[in-house]
Amino acid sequence: MEDTVDPDKVILCPACDLLLEKVSAAPDQSVICPRCATKLYAPRNNSLNRTLALTITGLILFAPANLLPLLTMEAIGIEDSGSIVESFLGLYEKGYYFVAVMVMLTSLVIPLIKLGLLLNVTLCLRLRRYPEWLPWAFRTYLNLDEWGMLEVYMIGILVTIIKMYHMAHIHYDLGFYCFIGLLISTLGSSAAMDEHHFWEMMETRPLPENDPGAELKRAGMHG
Amino acid sequence: MGNSESGLLTGKDAGLVLCLECNKVLQYEEPEEGCLLLCPRCGAEVHFRKPDSIARTWALVVTAVVLYFPANMLPMMRVDFMGSPDYSTIMDGIIYFFKEGYYFVGSVILTASILVPVFKIIGIILILCSIHFRWKRWLRHKTSMLKFIEFIGRWSMLDVFVIALLGVLVNFGFFTSIQAADAATYFTGVVIFTMLAAINFDSRLLWDAAD
Ligand SMILES: [Zn+2]
Repeated sequence: MEDTVDPDKVILCPACDLLLEKVSAAPDQSVICPRCATKLYAPRNNSLNRTLALTITGLILFAPANLLPLLTMEAIGIEDSGSIVESFLGLYEKGYYFVAVMVMLTSLVIPLIKLGLLLNVTLCLRLRRYPEWLPWAFRTYLNLDEWGMLEVYMIGILVTIIKMYHMAHIHYDLGFYCFIGLLISTLGSSAAMDEHHFWEMMETRPLPENDPGAELKRAGMHG
Repeated sequence: MGNSESGLLTGKDAGLVLCLECNKVLQYEEPEEGCLLLCPRCGAEVHFRKPDSIARTWALVVTAVVLYFPANMLPMMRVDFMGSPDYSTIMDGIIYFFKEGYYFVGSVILTASILVPVFKIIGIILILCSIHFRWKRWLRHKTSMLKFIEFIGRWSMLDVFVIALLGVLVNFGFFTSIQAADAATYFTGVVIFTMLAAINFDSRLLWDAAD
């Protein structure tokens, strides 16, 4: 057994700890662990610009998607409409605090924090700036990933529509379309994001193009 | 040391440790007393295996099992129709969809609210037992199952979102209104605790135990 393995020339499978030689993959191909079949990495084409564009779109749609009414139900001449924010406020008023807080976190707070962090990370990498909080911001984004549940909420909206289809007349309001846009841009931004490439950029800190002062700035930052 | 049968080398054998946050491979150095090994790239704590993974996963999965019973036995939703309240459990809601002929939606809710939580709980317990008794078979399948459990965990929140939406959208005064009932709290708890159990589990222990 070799005693000294260069850590920069190998990769370890996060699911089974198998030691593998680092191999490069073409964009939109993925490297799979031969022992446990876990996807190790999948480079993305033009990841930074695509992620940035989708994140900005998501942030623009965020407020209308959450605050504007999604649907209006009409029965026996009475109309009732509701937005995402109202859906958890209703639970809170009825005393279901834990459920209300979890719905609020998974459908609003965490998706917003995720978009905000991703915007900061992609902007910094795009402008070739590397503040101290950058790795922390990206780590937090990755850890929050599965706690944002917009797509589950979307299916929840569809189930609600089907459930009420016969009992009430349903209007689709502006918030509904904004929510679909928000969902698509959020899913798109995490699909376009190339985790390994982002971490490599934070480590190697490539310089801005056409900026002669950058070398000095970078030297200064390292202390 | 090492996987003698297959001759495959793991990171632990080679003295290398993986940062699970940013996937950087590091040479393992014993940190000083009271210190933690931190990843130079992302600043996260680095361990050979997630600390106390098995004990934490057991505790979280047992909590989920305890919450599972009230979540399914208590009413999940209260429908007031012409002034008289009617309570229904998760199962009643599913039966309603099947009776009305909405087989697809009925199946979606049945899967998300009943099958997924049961599958998650049984799956995690099976994997924990597999480590305890050092079962060496189906490792690849068990790793995929764990990936799948992590992926589907969040989908169980579906019924909670539906009730949150119905509560605000169906409020026609005396005629009819819908609101959440007590099972919603327990059910949300089941979802959260099974998700935390999957996050705290370290699938590398499955492969270590088979070595
Ligand atoms: Zn790291």
